[in-house]
Amino acid sequence: MAGVSFKNVCKVFGKDVKAVDDLSLDINDGEFMVLVGPSGCGKTTALRMLAGLEEATSGDIYIGETRVNDVPPKDRDIAMVFQNYALYPHMNVYDNIAFGLRLRELKGFFWQLSHMGEAKKIREDIDRRVREVAGMLGIEKLLDRKPKELSGGQRQRVALGRAIVRKPKVFLMDEPLSNLDAKLRIQTRAELIRLHRNLGVTTIYVTHDQVEAMTMGQRIAIMRDGVLQQCDEPETVYNQPANKFVAGFIGAPPMNFIEGTLNGGEVDLGAFKIGVGTNHPAHGMTGKKVIVGFRPEDIYDTRVNCPIPVTPGNTFEAKVDVLEKLGAEDTAYLLCGTIPITATLDPATRIEAGNSATFAVDLDKVHIFDGETEVAIR
Amino acid sequence: MTKTVGRGALIVYGVLVLLPLAWLLVSSLKTGAEILASPWSFPASPQFQNFANAWSDPQRPIGPAFVNSVIVTVFTLLILIPVGAMAAYVLAKHPFRGSKVVLGLFMSGLMFPHFLTIVPLFKLVQTLGLLNTMSGLVLVYVAYSLSFTIFVLYGFFEGLPDALLEAATLDGCTQSGAFWKVMFPLVKPGVIVVAIFNAIGFWNEYSLALVLFSSGGKTTLPVRIADMATARQYESDWGALFAGVVIVVVPILVAYWFFRDRIQVAMTAGSVK
Repeated sequence: MAGVSFKNVCKVFGKDVKAVDDLSLDINDGEFMVLVGPSGCGKTTALRMLAGLEEATSGDIYIGETRVNDVPPKDRDIAMVFQNYALYPHMNVYDNIAFGLRLRELKGFFWQLSHMGEAKKIREDIDRRVREVAGMLGIEKLLDRKPKELSGGQRQRVALGRAIVRKPKVFLMDEPLSNLDAKLRIQTRAELIRLHRNLGVTTIYVTHDQVEAMTMGQRIAIMRDGVLQQCDEPETVYNQPANKFVAGFIGAPPMNFIEGTLNGGEVDLGAFKIGVGTNHPAHGMTGKKVIVGFRPEDIYDTRVNCPIPVTPGNTFEAKVDVLEKLGAEDTAYLLCGTIPITATLDPATRIEAGNSATFAVDLDKVHIFDGETEVAIR
Repeated sequence: MTKTVGRGALIVYGVLVLLPLAWLLVSSLKTGAEILASPWSFPASPQFQNFANAWSDPQRPIGPAFVNSVIVTVFTLLILIPVGAMAAYVLAKHPFRGSKVVLGLFMSGLMFPHFLTIVPLFKLVQTLGLLNTMSGLVLVYVAYSLSFTIFVLYGFFEGLPDALLEAATLDGCTQSGAFWKVMFPLVKPGVIVVAIFNAIGFWNEYSLALVLFSSGGKTTLPVRIADMATARQYESDWGALFAGVVIVVVPILVAYWFFRDRIQVAMTAGSVK
């Protein structure tokens, strides 16, 4: 096992397409790190550079203490699970899992001929390890099947098995759940977490799905246009987003953003005003353009089960435009004048589309971003 | 209605193909006199001797020519397939500066009738000291079949996901290991098609064999059969000539029969999901 470091890594495709821009990131030994971001943000390119499948244009990549920029992929001691699994179609499950072991440990046909006893022992050891991993993943009955005879979930397990069996220093996973149906994805998510806990191998997991990132990562690194936006524990990223992009990307439904102007102890949002806590660094600023962000779950109907004090500084009137009843909660798309606001409400409010009501925002959870740089003001 | 017309057309086409074959087979079992007297009749008694006569004709035996054709075809394929597959693989999966030009050059070879090059080719092979040798013919066959082989296999390699190659690399394969252990086995359907089509071509090839490998009694089947046909104009053993043609045709038909499923799959590859 080993940690991984990216130090000022850049990757430029062609003349001027910067896929990864000055990425510096330290991943601890044994950590489960998730790289997340929209497509084209550079997360997969970063992973592929670590794997050695792409060459870094500049910067250094370390696995443990070793700089690996010039180390061929096969010598980096990493294993990768691909988005489409990349199982060898002409080999059965057993051979798919054993392939890497055989290549590394059986040193070619003539060596095997001249070292028959040793080769036999190695083959037995490979057999034991393949069966052990197959048992761990519950695919021992599928060992004779070809990949085309497997379901998506089974293929995914075989791909995992192929990675695990080599006992690499680092696991790389490139959106491994994206080809599974929703139910299987949730199930496999939990299994991957369990697997990581049992094996303790440094894992770098790439996804565009913020739910996967939040649920699986010990830390998550959010990227946009090749630039690392924030890297922290999921709760921190959720509660203290570094900028508007991170705030909007993490959380579903996404955070509401309204442009406004700071005016002493409040922000004028046009349709209504919202107070700024006295402890907030933005408190007291005047005339500065800002973006106010608050999450749908921090908005309450003031009439029913409202857990926060209702004051003129944290309320607004709005009409329910569309209501989605999800059972455990309702998602209400509100219109405050012309400003759209999404709120996650307690179904006990029994509010209906077309109704108007007064809603309260939890001021402790309001985020204020600089109107120009979009960086959080803290 | 359209279906009926389609079926009708297929039946007519089938008859057009099968009738000459059947006539050939029947004629190969008749005596020369029977063939000339009533070309469409069945033999009074099957003349299997025709095959033995053709095989070991004292002047123009088919036997050695058959062996030569087998050797030339097999060795050409043994060289052509690995060389063509490696070239197609590199052009499809490891493009380099100018690789499109190289591919274009190979493709232009498809449009170039090899008959036009026969005089310089003769000179070249003669200079190399390979005239009237099987190795000379094999080398020429390999060269002029590369275009078609690369054209077909390029498409197959291009269709393979890059992730397979990357997975093999991460599993510990060298470049050549990844090619032979992962990529090449995956284009097997393409290799079979290329092998069959090329084998048919080599087996039937006449003009190059005539110019480059046909002296001192050594030659390949098509040249020997043509030789026989010319000679038979002045002799009477037509049965042996037909038997000789059957000997030429049968190996290809048998090969086609064995691989028909794979050929069908490969020919329609990519047309349906």
